[in-house]
Amino acid sequence: MTDTPAAIAVDTGDLPLGGGLLAIVRPALDRLAHGGVLAVLSSSRAARDDLSTWCRIERHEHSCLTDENGRDRHLITRGALGVPRGVREHDVTLPQRVDPLTGRPRITSADVLAAAPFPARADRSTGLAPRGARVEPGGPEYPFALVERDRVAPPEVAQLFDQATSSQWDASRDIPWGDVRPLHPALEAAIGQVMTFLAENELSALYVPSRFIARIHPAYAEVAMFLATQMADEARHIDVFLKRARAAGGGLGVSSATSSRSLLSLFDPEDFTEASFLLSVLGEGTFLDLLRYVEEHAPDAATAEIARRTRVDEARHVHFGVAHVRHALSTDEALHRRLEDAVRRRAATLHDLASVPAPIHDALTVLAAGSDEPRAIARGHERYRALLDDMHEGRIKRLITAGFSPEQAQALSDLHTPNFM
Amino acid sequence: MSTEEILVGAVAYDAKVVPIWDGIRAHFREEGVAMDFALFSNYERQVDELLAGHIDVAWNTPLAHVRVQKRTEGRSRSLGMRDSDRDFHAKVIVRKDAGISSLEGLAGKTLAVGSRDSTQARILPLHFLKEAGIDVTQVKQLAFDTDLGKHGDTGTSELDVLTALKDGRAQAGVVGDLIWVLEQAAGRIDTSVLEPLWTTPGFDHCMFDALPTLAEPKVQAFQRGLFAMKWENPKHRRILELEGLKEWLPAREAGYASLRAALDAIDYW
Repeated sequence: MTDTPAAIAVDTGDLPLGGGLLAIVRPALDRLAHGGVLAVLSSSRAARDDLSTWCRIERHEHSCLTDENGRDRHLITRGALGVPRGVREHDVTLPQRVDPLTGRPRITSADVLAAAPFPARADRSTGLAPRGARVEPGGPEYPFALVERDRVAPPEVAQLFDQATSSQWDASRDIPWGDVRPLHPALEAAIGQVMTFLAENELSALYVPSRFIARIHPAYAEVAMFLATQMADEARHIDVFLKRARAAGGGLGVSSATSSRSLLSLFDPEDFTEASFLLSVLGEGTFLDLLRYVEEHAPDAATAEIARRTRVDEARHVHFGVAHVRHALSTDEALHRRLEDAVRRRAATLHDLASVPAPIHDALTVLAAGSDEPRAIARGHERYRALLDDMHEGRIKRLITAGFSPEQAQALSDLHTPNFM
Repeated sequence: MSTEEILVGAVAYDAKVVPIWDGIRAHFREEGVAMDFALFSNYERQVDELLAGHIDVAWNTPLAHVRVQKRTEGRSRSLGMRDSDRDFHAKVIVRKDAGISSLEGLAGKTLAVGSRDSTQARILPLHFLKEAGIDVTQVKQLAFDTDLGKHGDTGTSELDVLTALKDGRAQAGVVGDLIWVLEQAAGRIDTSVLEPLWTTPGFDHCMFDALPTLAEPKVQAFQRGLFAMKWENPKHRRILELEGLKEWLPAREAGYASLRAALDAIDYW
């Protein structure tokens, strides 16, 4: 059987038009192209004229013959108006894969993407129609700005979405909060300051992607869906960091003007790739090293678990950012230059930010020291300096993975904000 | 009135008439046709203003259309109509529990009818019933004279007829086939209670009328603008849906003879 038959016959019994007949006739007509013929066998006397009127309204041609048994045989030739654009999906059966952990079958988003691949370009007049749906003509054009696959949708995104949905955790339940004990006041204050800084930065990572979701054409919905998981992750991180700050009497620290200015500049880019590059590749990438540092020097198991879990989530965001930029760079040679310019512009607006904001600098030092005893502080200071070197090296590695040359990577990392994010 | 601009009259039978004509005017301007519109509260006023030369074109009901033709002694110009204006019918709908199986069975029963100036819900169905040999004086009429002057455009009196049938205040009723089928298609008719008994012969509905003196370039500009509206164009589609059509079609006159005969018979010119 072909996808679009030339003729179909249906039996509508004695159903009148307003009594269910259209629920048989309309789906049957939907299977026909313009000019296709639907034969409707009906024993409803009321439907005889009503179907003719309905066809007149819908601009289908209609004729009706009555057979020797008094049953009507309506012939409806589908009109040209309102025939949906696109090809009807048929024979799509998604594979079921056995989950190695539970033994239960899974249907993955990666398989959905394989069955219905991203188009190279999307059409704004298809509105919010899911990819693969046929679209009735005459709908309004939506103001989606991101309509090119290579600028929006790296092929890894569906897999990352699968990972994200299966990796969600609960900040109330999944942290060993019972292990939190009152610490030395200086150390508890340092924890409060670090958590304040982390939460403030994560708020930027919650808000920045939200600016782009509504610009992404639904043909690339997996990207919007992934960003939604990223935002859910950030929401959980903000929540867990603030809980830790208040869990043992430390309370919140200071939000420095330097951090605030640095984060505000993340709102400047109007281009999705530039924003993703600054936020996810450079900012969240640097954050991975910071979270590893917090985990390593955590004074209790709860703080270590918080840093570990948030780092796993952030690594996924960085993975998406790197994949997005790498995919875009591979298809657009001029993009290297634009991304460099974005980093330079940001550096220029932050040119007077010479160093890490003092409150977080001190708190990270005390955290690694474990106390405010001078010899311990000296050790903490060394660890802190090593962190800055680790961050620089990590950025260079990620920039090279994204598709920059070692020289470009070196230059871009040097220009990165001292605020980490 | 500007010599360039075409002034179209329409009756404000519903609040949606404003966005309809704002939209049509914007479309005409995009097509390079200078057009504006004037809204009237009733068709009698609109016909008078057309005949007085105060508007160029009137968007008329069938009743207003045949009245313009009569008052211009057949010299008025018909410029276009909706696809949905062609081959209109009226229906006699009955309650299944009323025991009415033929038109003769209407005798002694209550028949709900629409406004007295509604072509499809009063004038023509009663005319066609008489032509079919039914003595309508033997039928009790329950009349819904709502929105007089709008010639049935609002559809209110037809919905009143259907409600009276549903509530059992009438055993039979007359409505246009368009509203009968659209109400069914929308799932608002209980077909276990109501069924159609009879369908009238066909007739045509609304028409754009102009005086014979309207300058030919204006006629052509008006028709060019009108026929350029397309269902597939999202901006046009919104207007066409509001106005209840899928395509504007050229005028045809054959579908108004029954209405003229009915008006002669009841002296309702």
